[in-house]
Amino acid sequence: MENPLREGLVTRHAAEPCVVVIFGATGDLTRRKLVPALCNLAHEGQLPAGFAVVGFARRPKSNAEFRAELLDGVKKFSRFNPINPAVWDSFAQGIFYHQAEFSDATGYDRLNQFLRQLDKDRGTAGNRLFYLATAPPDFTTIIRQLGAHGLGRGTASRIIVEKPFGRSLATAHELNTELATVFDENQVYRIDHYLGKETVQNILALRFANEIFEPLWNQKYIDHVQITVSESLGVETRGSYYEKSGALRDMVQNHMMQLLALVGMEPPAGLAANDIRDEKVKVLRSIRPIEPGHISQSSVRGQYAAGSLAGKAVVGYHEELNVAPDSRTETFVALKLFIDNWRWASVPFYLRHGKRLPKQTAEIAIQFKAPPAVLFAAETTAPVQPNVLVLRIQPDEGIAIRMNAKVPGTALHIEPVKMDFRYGGSFGARSPEAYERLLHDALAGDATLFTRSDEVEASWRLMDAVLTGWQTAGRPAAYEAGTWGPPEADAFIAKDGRTWRRP
Amino acid sequence: MATSIETFTAGTETAVDVAEVERQLRDLWKLASKDVHQRITRACLFNLIAYVETIADRDCVTAIISEVTSRHPCRAMVLLAQPELPRDEIAASITAHCHLAGGGGRQVCCEQISIHASGQRVADLPGAVLPLLESDLPAVLWWSGNFLDRLDLFRRLRSVTDRLIFDTSSWPPPVNLRQLASELPAPSQFSDLSWTRLALWQQLVAEAFDEPHCAAALPRLSEVEVIHGGGPGATLRAQLLGGWVAAQLGWSAAETQARLRLSCREDRDATTVGVMALTLRGPDFEVRVYKNHGEHTASVVVNVPDACGLPRKRAFAPDDVAALLGQELDRTPTPAVYRRALLQAGN
Repeated sequence: MENPLREGLVTRHAAEPCVVVIFGATGDLTRRKLVPALCNLAHEGQLPAGFAVVGFARRPKSNAEFRAELLDGVKKFSRFNPINPAVWDSFAQGIFYHQAEFSDATGYDRLNQFLRQLDKDRGTAGNRLFYLATAPPDFTTIIRQLGAHGLGRGTASRIIVEKPFGRSLATAHELNTELATVFDENQVYRIDHYLGKETVQNILALRFANEIFEPLWNQKYIDHVQITVSESLGVETRGSYYEKSGALRDMVQNHMMQLLALVGMEPPAGLAANDIRDEKVKVLRSIRPIEPGHISQSSVRGQYAAGSLAGKAVVGYHEELNVAPDSRTETFVALKLFIDNWRWASVPFYLRHGKRLPKQTAEIAIQFKAPPAVLFAAETTAPVQPNVLVLRIQPDEGIAIRMNAKVPGTALHIEPVKMDFRYGGSFGARSPEAYERLLHDALAGDATLFTRSDEVEASWRLMDAVLTGWQTAGRPAAYEAGTWGPPEADAFIAKDGRTWRRP
Repeated sequence: MATSIETFTAGTETAVDVAEVERQLRDLWKLASKDVHQRITRACLFNLIAYVETIADRDCVTAIISEVTSRHPCRAMVLLAQPELPRDEIAASITAHCHLAGGGGRQVCCEQISIHASGQRVADLPGAVLPLLESDLPAVLWWSGNFLDRLDLFRRLRSVTDRLIFDTSSWPPPVNLRQLASELPAPSQFSDLSWTRLALWQQLVAEAFDEPHCAAALPRLSEVEVIHGGGPGATLRAQLLGGWVAAQLGWSAAETQARLRLSCREDRDATTVGVMALTLRGPDFEVRVYKNHGEHTASVVVNVPDACGLPRKRAFAPDDVAALLGQELDRTPTPAVYRRALLQAGN
């Protein structure tokens, strides 16, 4: 029934009363991201009255201890600082701790009983959102237990699965199959926090709410696209995880392929979840697979050696904690991909990601073709530069356009100038955190910003081919920490007569 | 150029000829862009024209603009109109509001143009404003005081702007609600900050009726009671809140008169800024929203058969004028809802 009192109100429709059950509730993700995001939603009045959080973890802990730990995290990581005590008190009354092993069936029996009690006490009416914030090896155990205890298909439950979603096409498919035995696809929310970023969502607005860009968004006018996600940090304390993952699995397969899909997709039929996801899948399926025999023409991988960053000496990857001295894990990857469809035929998409690069940045650069050199060639000394449209995702989120202008004077001297729009300068309002947006959407049953099983598998299919090619391609090229990657990466793009941007 | 960049960006007013404002600003921003030490970026998303009638109000509005521009960069014009003064004069001054943005000492700055007109020259204000509007950007008129008292000037300034912001809380009673509604014709865009102060009340009531059992009870609503304090604008705000419920439920004037009750209570709670409680009743249910004594919070208690009866408490957003203005600039106004509430309140 339509609520007439909703007309014109600023905040979104509050989700139905719901219990969020977080598996891995004592982990960093819960403390730093999930609960601060939920508390932010409470602050903004976007949680229903009966909302509850149940933390499921192995360590013994009382409700009071759990709430105190979470409050500490909220104080540090919430964007509402200081947190309003009235909001916290009201929110904390709905937080509970449930101690059990993930594989212990009796723990799920007790969970089931407790959830039924919450249904009575808080009016949650069987509406549950399970959040897998554990290490990936626990995913299958938890999914099976949920299924065995009647908490999956046929109920009002949904499940959020954190990354990494598999480590190959086979393992991703296996996980999808496990999920499909317990949940329907519309109950599954695979989270990619990049999609919760305001600037990533803005890609669709920029493309489809501005008539000036879309007519140029094709192979006729665009020379190539560069997507760069660089990190100045090394692997820090995550050496053992990174050894199994590497740059391709950690960043390219999920976040960067999502960026590519959003840049490359056709206008969707609507803004419903499947309208957008259908178009993204089409792009991923249209990407030309990299043949293992052509791996060196389509990719470069690197590994950082010792160097210096921001005036400080840093160790090489091999010297990092929990990294094998002879590790071949890549910390840098550059790919050249082609989307074989009408819009993008023969336009290369260069993807570049690495650790220990000079700075932390994420951007998408659309480089347009150079104008014909007939008009100004005789009058100017340097060739006219092509236009570039840059979508900066982080930091300093914004959009810049490089265009050409005549330098004032009697001579015809043309120089590139930059028009720069910065979110921070124009919209002072602080954006909601990515997890805030995504959790709210999952609570409200909106899967638009979550990845679908076929999307994940389409992306893994492409990455598997790269990983297979690398198996016989020797060691990753070394690069000095604090540089923009190995010299091989420069040569890789230079072969095409292009250069990497300096973000 | 007598004004230094440091003086300009430090917020000090510099007198300039009205006809020279644009050129002076252009020169100053040009100099600022070359100042490698200050790292200044000029930002402007809209024109904000603030109208005041006293020097004290002008200073107050300037302080508010300084705060608001940190989130809403704009070209601000403060118009001080004093028609009762004997001398016919018009004068201008310029200054900037700068805010640190991000790291590295970078500052984002906006300019403020102040125009003071007295005597007969007050009539020249619209003509002074028009050439100073930044092209292709929306213009917001923020009228401090009751514009029904200055209808001629108000209409002329309103006609060159895209949106109006005013605050009926500061209007001395009684307010002619029908005349007010007639000055806000559709499809004009406007916001009343007194209405903005009701946002949490409206939000809590709407949220309560999102719940399916409550939504089903809504057609049985037979009585609305608003209790308010005696502060500035409190009665009008209570009228607007009651009028809003009546209008959204499509009540006729007679139904509103029969079902809506407003009562004033003595209130010693310094944190109350108007409405104290709103109760919606039907034959078998009650939803009550009330301000908690001594706190900047409101609670909602739902007593509807089968609905979740857990009380909920929420904090009011800051309600100083700078915060309210910022909230309004953040969102698209809903003039149709306000207008309907106003007309019902007039009943």
